[in-house]
Amino acid sequence: MEKVTLNETPRRTSKSFGINNYKIEDFELPEVKEFTNVTIDSEIEIEHDTYDFKPKFSIGNKLVNQLNNGNQKLYINIDKNVNEPIVIDFELDDKQNVLIDNVTIKAEEGTNATVILKYKTQNDAVDAFHNGVCNVTAKANSKLKVIILNLLNKNSENYYSMNNKTEENAILEYIIADFGGRRTVTNYYSNLIGNTSNNSVNTMYIGTGTQELDQNYIAEVYGKKANIDIEVYGALKDTAKKNFKGTIDFKTGCKKAIGNENEYCMLLSKTAKSKALPMLLCSEDDVQGNHSNSAGKIDEDKLYYIMARGISKKEAQKLIVKAKFSGVLEKLQDEDLKNELIEEIDKRLV
Amino acid sequence: MAKTQVDDINRSIYNIKNEDNYSYKMQKGLDEKIVREISSMKNEPTWMLECRLKGLEMYNKLEMPTWGPDLSVLNMDEISTYVKPKSELNTSWEDVPEEIKNTFDALGIPEAEKKSLAGVGAQYDSEVVYHSLQEDLLKQGVIYTDFETAVKKYENIVKKYFMKCVPAEDHKFAALHYAVWSGGSFVYVPKGVNVEIPLQSYFRLNSPESGQFEHTLIIVDEGANLHFIEGCSAPKYNKVNLHAGCVELFVKENARLRYSTIENWSKNMLNLNTKKVIVEKNGVMEWVTGSFGSRISMLYPMSILKGDNAKMEYTGISFAGEGQNLDTGLKVVHGAKNTASVVSSKSISKSGGIATFRSNVVVAPNADGSKSNISCESLMLDDWSVSDTIPVSNIGTDDVEFSHEAKIGKISDEAIFYLMSRGLSEEEAKAMIVRGFASPISKELPVEYAAEMNNLINLELEGAIG
Amino acid sequence: MENLLKIKDLHVNAGEKEILKGLNLQINKGEVHVIMGPNGAGKSTLANVILNNPEYTRTEGDIIFENENINDLRTDERAKKGIFMSFQSPEEIPGISVQNFIKSAKVAKDEKPVRIFEFKKNLEQTMKDLNMNVEYSNRDLNVGFSGGEKKKNEILQMLMLEPKLAILDETDSGLDVDAIKTVSKGINMYHNENNGVLIITHGTKILENLHVDYVHILVNGKIIKTADGSLAQEIEKQGYEAYREEKANG
Repeated sequence: MEKVTLNETPRRTSKSFGINNYKIEDFELPEVKEFTNVTIDSEIEIEHDTYDFKPKFSIGNKLVNQLNNGNQKLYINIDKNVNEPIVIDFELDDKQNVLIDNVTIKAEEGTNATVILKYKTQNDAVDAFHNGVCNVTAKANSKLKVIILNLLNKNSENYYSMNNKTEENAILEYIIADFGGRRTVTNYYSNLIGNTSNNSVNTMYIGTGTQELDQNYIAEVYGKKANIDIEVYGALKDTAKKNFKGTIDFKTGCKKAIGNENEYCMLLSKTAKSKALPMLLCSEDDVQGNHSNSAGKIDEDKLYYIMARGISKKEAQKLIVKAKFSGVLEKLQDEDLKNELIEEIDKRLV
Repeated sequence: MAKTQVDDINRSIYNIKNEDNYSYKMQKGLDEKIVREISSMKNEPTWMLECRLKGLEMYNKLEMPTWGPDLSVLNMDEISTYVKPKSELNTSWEDVPEEIKNTFDALGIPEAEKKSLAGVGAQYDSEVVYHSLQEDLLKQGVIYTDFETAVKKYENIVKKYFMKCVPAEDHKFAALHYAVWSGGSFVYVPKGVNVEIPLQSYFRLNSPESGQFEHTLIIVDEGANLHFIEGCSAPKYNKVNLHAGCVELFVKENARLRYSTIENWSKNMLNLNTKKVIVEKNGVMEWVTGSFGSRISMLYPMSILKGDNAKMEYTGISFAGEGQNLDTGLKVVHGAKNTASVVSSKSISKSGGIATFRSNVVVAPNADGSKSNISCESLMLDDWSVSDTIPVSNIGTDDVEFSHEAKIGKISDEAIFYLMSRGLSEEEAKAMIVRGFASPISKELPVEYAAEMNNLINLELEGAIG
Repeated sequence: MENLLKIKDLHVNAGEKEILKGLNLQINKGEVHVIMGPNGAGKSTLANVILNNPEYTRTEGDIIFENENINDLRTDERAKKGIFMSFQSPEEIPGISVQNFIKSAKVAKDEKPVRIFEFKKNLEQTMKDLNMNVEYSNRDLNVGFSGGEKKKNEILQMLMLEPKLAILDETDSGLDVDAIKTVSKGINMYHNENNGVLIITHGTKILENLHVDYVHILVNGKIIKTADGSLAQEIEKQGYEAYREEKANG
């Protein structure tokens, strides 16, 4: 066991605020065995190759080394338009309970595709460990949608990184459901290097029981007229804890770039804890940057209105949470997937 | 559209440099001998010396901040912590030595005293040289005096409150402050007394390579009301000067305190000031802050909302020009039920200046029904300046309404065109928009000070670039 | 009659795209001109380019105001010469009151200080004439104003600044009948034999109480027809379709 520090923010604040990084006192890397519980549904061929992951903002050397020697290496080279989503399903069970996946997606110029990466545990008791990375390069004029579904159980440890580069005119859209893990450390980095490139991230997260979530979203904007949009919606219950850190960094030269960042946290229990640090860093004048975050309980009037129609408080709460998530759910543009996630939300908010 | 030259703050008045004419200037550096010497020169009670030694101990123990601006330009071995001016404490401007009086005249202090203040304190280097309070306030039991007098004359009250709001452990420069503090103001407003006209303390640092460490302690007792104004400035020198003052404020039940600061230190000043208030039940604290000067500022007034329904409002602006790194903001702890905080912060950065806003809002698990609303707006006037917004929130209960929003950007071309279409030059248009941007803060200041602030944002309307 | 504005063979681009393609127009003192045309024809471009909005680039042609070529003058210089535009969507400027703004503009234009008392009295009277709440003079410029209030505020500025040429860029759009009447009233208050008015509009409501000297139809970057006031009614009934064809055939 050892002490590790993950998810460092691009700017430090006073130590006493307790949000500069995420410290784990009893960190232990598990033994990496074979992992074969992968289902791939794809029109194009996927290679088992690896791309060396070198994060700009450290997530801890041990985890990075592990990722570069993972037990699942996938290289998705999108060299033509792909009509049906590429779906990759990872299932962790009692025997195969350690997944170290290094997924690389390269969207070639002008291509259009959707990739879904789904992580789940076979049952609630599996003691799973997941360390994964999704490396994305969106080449010029490409359009790529990446859907990351963390549906692990609440016993798991989950470390996940997303590392993106958007070139000229590329449109990269992320939809993230961060639901599982007794400890979930999410690291998102985007390098908007291309002019008029566009990156949007829509996240929904849920923390219940004793779940802990630490989220570090960072976007560096270099391209002129580039656009970054980060929208994060969450619900916390019981004694769950969440740290949200989001940074939009406008670099000199990114004229006419626009960045928006919004985090909204619903507190469903008195004992849930929410910390947030939405940073805006700016060294270019000709930009528009906005951020906002808010936290609080569900509007009593809304609850009352729904309950007046004969619905229990718990169900009413769920309805309101799902209503808040609906913007993200709609973006999935897939009814089956949407229903699956709604079921997950219902299950988790019991 | 061409870039406009928006000029720096006009500091000619603030730059009056008097000769370094002191009656005593402490050798540079910091050690126990120096601390004991300051204490003995002030003829202090032993408990105060013990506070100083405790400060020194903590100063040696605590590390430099691991975040924020680079403070490596500061070398305590180069700073003289105590400079006694050639003047005693006076109650009439006539008695203040001419050179010092002329400085305060130029800063408009005696004039403002006549027009709009109920009491004035004026500190020059390490000691207060002038103090006054209107007769009727004296009669109502209001105390307003320099801190040295307070330690002797009101020892019991001072002892009860000193170091109780800001402990020496707070951070390295708070500890330093306690080791070498000198000068400052003490205010006590008795229960139910409404001080309608503001009191003002002005702090002037003239001596090069020195520090100013004034201590301000204000107690607004139950149901009382006070507006206190603090001004500060210094002429520019080539070497670093240090300001590490400390402000301890106590707002009792149903009391109200407004604390306004116009900070206009010179650009060689490191302004590492500490301000904190404890607000009791139904009390209201209002911070109004304009940060214009200094090379580096690290200043985050903190409010502890200790009693139910306590409220804090913060209205601040900072203007970071060439060579300036202004790291400002606030901290608030919602520690009781139905407490509220409302924050409106603005910053302007130009000519490579760095303006950073930091905040930390803590809502304790017992602070049910609390509300916090934070809004930040940053204006960038060119593409080599920097503007960062770093707000932290830490929410420990569900029964809370917390919201934060921030905006960053430049003056819109459309707005400039609109104003120009009415005959204003591009420079006038930009200046007008900048003044409008700052107006929510200038509105909060008494008329004379709003005028001073407009002088501070004296935007150069010449030098059009085609 | 004395010539006020003369536009000769004006070509204007917005970015790479050519919007005005050789436009000619002459306005004399004492005249009221109306420009009508379908969306995207270049009406607002014309208004904005007369005031040198940096969004648009003049590639060819001349703008002559009172016999002086103003091609190279900045926006504020043109405004000081006496050209005024009522904006289609007036900017909101926080922190500057309506009163202070108009005062500053007047000082800039007249190049002498205003007499405060007289100015205030005049401002309040004009606001009353325009059915505006006098308290609005202390509110931040256009901030939180409704569409109608913003447009009235434009007319107020026109009356206070007394330009030689007033260009009204769709001042009537989005307004209810009463507000349009107020705007018309404002134009009548302003107009005299020494100044000119150029109204850009979609509708004819605003013209009802005005004497219009010329109506121009602007299609695809050019004026393709000019006639007297009755042309506006004709357009109201028939639309622009006929003129589009006319152009294609011609």
